Amino acid sequence: MAFQIESLIQDQVATFTLHGELDSLSARVFQTEIEKIANQPIDSLVLDMEDLNFMSSAGLRVLIYSKQKIGPKLSIYIVRPQELIVDTLTKTGLQHSVTIVDQYPV
Amino acid sequence: MESKSFPGTVDSLDALREYIGELSQRAGLAKKPTYNLKLAVDEIATNIILYGYQAPGIEADFQVLSEISDQALVVILEDIAAPFDPLAKELPNAQDLTLSLEERGIGGLGIFLTINGVDEFSYEYANGKNRNKFVMKITAT
Repeated sequence: MAFQIESLIQDQVATFTLHGELDSLSARVFQTEIEKIANQPIDSLVLDMEDLNFMSSAGLRVLIYSKQKIGPKLSIYIVRPQELIVDTLTKTGLQHSVTIVDQYPV
Repeated sequence: MESKSFPGTVDSLDALREYIGELSQRAGLAKKPTYNLKLAVDEIATNIILYGYQAPGIEADFQVLSEISDQALVVILEDIAAPFDPLAKELPNAQDLTLSLEERGIGGLGIFLTINGVDEFSYEYANGKNRNKFVMKITAT
Protein backbone atom coordinates (compact mmCIF):
# COMPACT_ATOMS: atom_id res chain seq x y z
CA MET A 1 0.00 0.00 0.00
CA ALA A 2 1.35 3.42 -0.94
CA PHE A 3 2.90 5.41 1.87
CA GLN A 4 1.46 8.78 2.78
CA ILE A 5 2.44 11.28 5.41
CA GLU A 6 0.67 14.40 6.66
CA SER A 7 2.31 16.92 8.89
CA LEU A 8 1.13 19.59 11.27
CA ILE A 9 3.43 21.82 13.28
CA GLN A 10 1.94 23.82 16.10
CA ASP A 11 3.21 25.10 19.44
CA GLN A 12 6.54 23.22 19.28
CA VAL A 13 4.74 19.97 18.55
CA ALA A 14 5.27 18.29 15.18
CA THR A 15 2.54 15.79 14.38
CA PHE A 16 2.97 13.36 11.50
CA THR A 17 0.23 11.00 10.47
CA LEU A 18 1.63 7.96 8.66
CA HIS A 19 -0.43 5.75 6.36
CA GLY A 20 0.44 2.60 4.44
CA GLU A 21 3.80 0.87 4.62
CA LEU A 22 7.10 2.31 5.79
CA ASP A 23 10.01 0.61 4.01
CA SER A 24 13.38 1.82 2.77
CA LEU A 25 11.74 3.65 -0.15
CA SER A 26 9.10 5.48 1.88
CA ALA A 27 11.50 6.07 4.80
CA ARG A 28 13.22 8.62 2.54
CA VAL A 29 10.00 10.62 2.40
CA PHE A 30 9.62 10.37 6.18
CA GLN A 31 13.23 11.44 6.72
CA THR A 32 12.79 14.44 4.42
CA GLU A 33 9.85 15.57 6.57
CA ILE A 34 12.00 15.23 9.70
CA GLU A 35 14.79 17.23 8.06
CA LYS A 36 12.32 20.05 7.40
CA ILE A 37 11.63 20.44 11.13
CA ALA A 38 15.18 19.78 12.34
CA ASN A 39 16.00 23.46 12.75
CA GLN A 40 12.73 24.44 14.36
CA PRO A 41 12.15 24.63 18.12
CA ILE A 42 10.27 21.33 18.34
CA ASP A 43 10.03 19.61 21.73
CA SER A 44 7.57 16.83 20.87
CA LEU A 45 7.32 14.62 17.83
CA VAL A 46 3.94 12.90 17.60
CA LEU A 47 3.66 10.02 15.14
CA ASP A 48 0.14 8.81 14.51
CA MET A 49 0.62 5.21 13.34
CA GLU A 50 -2.93 3.91 13.52
CA ASP A 51 -3.04 3.47 9.72
CA LEU A 52 0.54 2.33 9.32
CA ASN A 53 0.51 -1.37 8.41
CA PHE A 54 4.20 -2.12 8.09
CA MET A 55 7.49 -0.71 9.35
CA SER A 56 10.93 -2.06 8.53
CA SER A 57 14.24 -1.15 10.15
CA ALA A 58 14.40 1.78 7.70
CA GLY A 59 11.54 3.32 9.71
CA LEU A 60 13.34 2.62 12.99
CA ARG A 61 16.40 4.36 11.63
CA VAL A 62 14.34 7.50 10.96
CA LEU A 63 13.20 7.43 14.62
CA ILE A 64 16.83 7.21 15.73
CA TYR A 65 17.78 9.91 13.23
CA SER A 66 15.02 12.21 14.56
CA LYS A 67 16.30 12.09 18.09
CA GLN A 68 19.90 12.53 17.01
CA LYS A 69 19.08 15.38 14.62
CA ILE A 70 16.54 17.33 16.69
CA GLY A 71 18.18 16.73 20.02
CA PRO A 72 18.07 14.62 23.18
CA LYS A 73 15.27 16.68 24.72
CA LEU A 74 12.85 15.69 21.97
CA SER A 75 9.99 13.54 23.24
CA ILE A 76 8.64 11.04 20.73
CA TYR A 77 5.03 9.89 21.08
CA ILE A 78 3.70 7.04 18.96
CA VAL A 79 -0.08 7.11 18.79
CA ARG A 80 -2.03 3.87 18.41
CA PRO A 81 0.57 1.73 16.63
CA GLN A 82 -0.58 -1.65 15.34
CA GLU A 83 0.38 -4.67 17.43
CA LEU A 84 2.99 -6.01 14.99
CA ILE A 85 4.72 -2.64 14.87
CA VAL A 86 4.78 -2.56 18.69
CA ASP A 87 6.45 -5.98 18.46
CA THR A 88 9.21 -4.53 16.31
CA LEU A 89 9.72 -1.60 18.69
CA THR A 90 9.85 -3.99 21.64
CA LYS A 91 12.24 -6.50 20.04
CA THR A 92 14.68 -3.74 19.18
CA GLY A 93 14.37 -2.04 22.58
CA LEU A 94 13.13 1.21 21.05
CA GLN A 95 9.95 1.16 23.11
CA HIS A 96 12.05 2.51 26.01
CA SER A 97 12.92 5.61 24.03
CA VAL A 98 9.44 6.48 22.81
CA THR A 99 6.11 6.81 24.55
CA ILE A 100 3.29 4.70 23.12
CA VAL A 101 -0.07 6.39 23.71
CA ASP A 102 -3.71 6.00 22.70
CA GLN A 103 -4.09 9.68 21.96
CA TYR A 104 -2.16 12.94 21.98
CA PRO A 105 -2.31 15.17 23.97
CA VAL A 106 -1.99 12.31 26.45
CA MET B 1 9.97 -24.66 -6.67
CA GLU B 2 8.06 -21.59 -7.77
CA SER B 3 10.15 -18.69 -9.03
CA LYS B 4 9.38 -15.02 -9.48
CA SER B 5 11.68 -12.24 -10.56
CA PHE B 6 11.81 -8.63 -9.33
CA PRO B 7 13.83 -5.65 -10.60
CA GLY B 8 16.64 -4.76 -8.19
CA THR B 9 15.26 -1.38 -7.15
CA VAL B 10 13.56 -0.23 -3.93
CA ASP B 11 10.35 0.30 -5.91
CA SER B 12 10.05 -3.50 -5.99
CA LEU B 13 9.73 -3.83 -2.21
CA ASP B 14 6.00 -3.16 -2.15
CA ALA B 15 5.25 -5.83 -4.77
CA LEU B 16 7.70 -8.18 -3.07
CA ARG B 17 5.87 -7.91 0.27
CA GLU B 18 2.57 -8.44 -1.47
CA TYR B 19 3.91 -11.60 -3.11
CA ILE B 20 5.26 -12.90 0.23
CA GLY B 21 1.78 -12.21 1.65
CA GLU B 22 0.24 -14.36 -1.10
CA LEU B 23 2.68 -17.21 -0.47
CA SER B 24 2.01 -17.02 3.28
CA GLN B 25 -1.71 -17.14 2.67
CA ARG B 26 -1.34 -20.20 0.42
CA ALA B 27 0.80 -21.84 3.11
CA GLY B 28 -1.81 -21.04 5.74
CA LEU B 29 0.44 -18.90 7.92
CA ALA B 30 -1.23 -16.77 10.58
CA LYS B 31 -1.07 -12.97 10.63
CA LYS B 32 1.96 -12.60 12.89
CA PRO B 33 4.28 -15.09 11.14
CA THR B 34 3.16 -13.62 7.81
CA TYR B 35 4.18 -10.14 8.97
CA ASN B 36 7.48 -11.41 10.35
CA LEU B 37 8.32 -13.17 7.08
CA LYS B 38 7.42 -10.06 5.07
CA LEU B 39 9.65 -8.00 7.35
CA ALA B 40 12.56 -10.48 7.11
CA VAL B 41 12.39 -10.73 3.32
CA ASP B 42 12.01 -6.94 2.99
CA GLU B 43 15.11 -6.37 5.14
CA ILE B 44 17.33 -8.76 3.18
CA ALA B 45 15.98 -7.61 -0.20
CA THR B 46 16.69 -4.00 0.83
CA ASN B 47 20.32 -4.91 1.54
CA ILE B 48 20.62 -6.72 -1.80
CA ILE B 49 19.14 -3.75 -3.69
CA LEU B 50 20.99 -0.92 -1.90
CA TYR B 51 24.37 -2.50 -1.24
CA GLY B 52 24.54 -5.45 -3.63
CA TYR B 53 23.21 -3.74 -6.73
CA GLN B 54 22.84 0.05 -6.44
CA ALA B 55 26.09 0.91 -4.63
CA PRO B 56 28.32 -0.79 -7.23
CA GLY B 57 25.98 0.27 -10.08
CA ILE B 58 24.65 -3.15 -11.04
CA GLU B 59 21.28 -3.23 -12.80
CA ALA B 60 19.85 -6.68 -12.28
CA ASP B 61 16.86 -8.60 -11.05
CA PHE B 62 16.66 -10.78 -7.98
CA GLN B 63 14.66 -13.97 -7.73
CA VAL B 64 12.27 -15.27 -5.14
CA LEU B 65 12.14 -19.07 -5.06
CA SER B 66 9.54 -20.67 -2.88
CA GLU B 67 8.18 -24.01 -1.84
CA ILE B 68 5.22 -24.89 0.33
CA SER B 69 5.07 -28.28 2.01
CA ASP B 70 2.98 -29.64 4.85
CA GLN B 71 5.73 -28.67 7.28
CA ALA B 72 7.03 -25.33 6.06
CA LEU B 73 7.05 -22.39 3.73
CA VAL B 74 10.54 -21.98 2.33
CA VAL B 75 11.51 -18.74 0.59
CA ILE B 76 14.90 -18.18 -1.03
CA LEU B 77 16.14 -14.81 -2.28
CA GLU B 78 18.74 -15.23 -5.01
CA ASP B 79 20.89 -12.42 -6.36
CA ILE B 80 24.00 -12.03 -8.50
CA ALA B 81 25.69 -9.30 -6.44
CA ALA B 82 29.10 -9.78 -4.86
CA PRO B 83 29.12 -12.42 -2.10
CA PHE B 84 27.61 -10.98 1.07
CA ASP B 85 26.85 -13.05 4.13
CA PRO B 86 24.40 -11.14 6.34
CA LEU B 87 25.21 -13.51 9.20
CA ALA B 88 28.86 -12.45 9.14
CA LYS B 89 27.94 -8.99 10.36
CA GLU B 90 27.97 -8.39 14.07
CA LEU B 91 24.43 -8.16 15.39
CA PRO B 92 23.36 -5.72 18.07
CA ASN B 93 23.74 -7.48 21.42
CA ALA B 94 21.44 -7.27 24.44
CA GLN B 95 23.29 -4.23 25.74
CA ASP B 96 23.08 -2.39 22.40
CA LEU B 97 19.32 -2.86 22.43
CA THR B 98 19.03 -1.08 25.78
CA LEU B 99 20.81 2.04 24.51
CA SER B 100 18.78 5.21 24.19
CA LEU B 101 18.10 6.63 20.73
CA GLU B 102 20.83 9.25 21.18
CA GLU B 103 23.43 6.57 21.76
CA ARG B 104 22.36 4.19 19.02
CA GLY B 105 24.26 3.15 15.97
CA ILE B 106 21.92 2.71 13.05
CA GLY B 107 23.27 -0.56 11.63
CA GLY B 108 22.36 -4.18 12.17
CA LEU B 109 18.72 -3.77 13.20
CA GLY B 110 17.41 -5.16 9.90
CA ILE B 111 19.35 -8.38 10.13
CA PHE B 112 18.50 -8.66 13.80
CA LEU B 113 14.76 -8.44 12.92
CA THR B 114 15.24 -10.96 10.10
CA ILE B 115 16.83 -13.61 12.29
CA ASN B 116 14.37 -13.00 15.11
CA GLY B 117 11.32 -13.13 12.89
CA VAL B 118 11.72 -16.43 11.06
CA ASP B 119 12.06 -20.03 12.25
CA GLU B 120 15.28 -20.56 10.28
CA PHE B 121 17.52 -18.26 8.33
CA SER B 122 20.58 -19.36 6.40
CA TYR B 123 22.93 -18.05 3.76
CA GLU B 124 25.08 -19.66 1.11
CA TYR B 125 27.00 -18.52 -1.95
CA ALA B 126 26.79 -21.01 -4.77
CA ASN B 127 27.15 -20.88 -8.57
CA GLY B 128 27.81 -17.15 -8.54
CA LYS B 129 24.72 -16.36 -6.51
CA ASN B 130 23.91 -15.26 -2.98
CA ARG B 131 21.13 -17.42 -1.58
CA ASN B 132 19.31 -16.16 1.53
CA LYS B 133 16.94 -18.81 2.79
CA PHE B 134 13.96 -18.22 5.11
CA VAL B 135 11.94 -21.04 6.65
CA MET B 136 8.58 -20.61 8.37
CA LYS B 137 7.28 -23.76 10.02
CA ILE B 138 3.65 -24.57 9.50
CA THR B 139 1.96 -25.70 12.67
CA ALA B 140 -1.04 -27.94 12.43
CA THR B 141 -4.18 -26.17 13.55
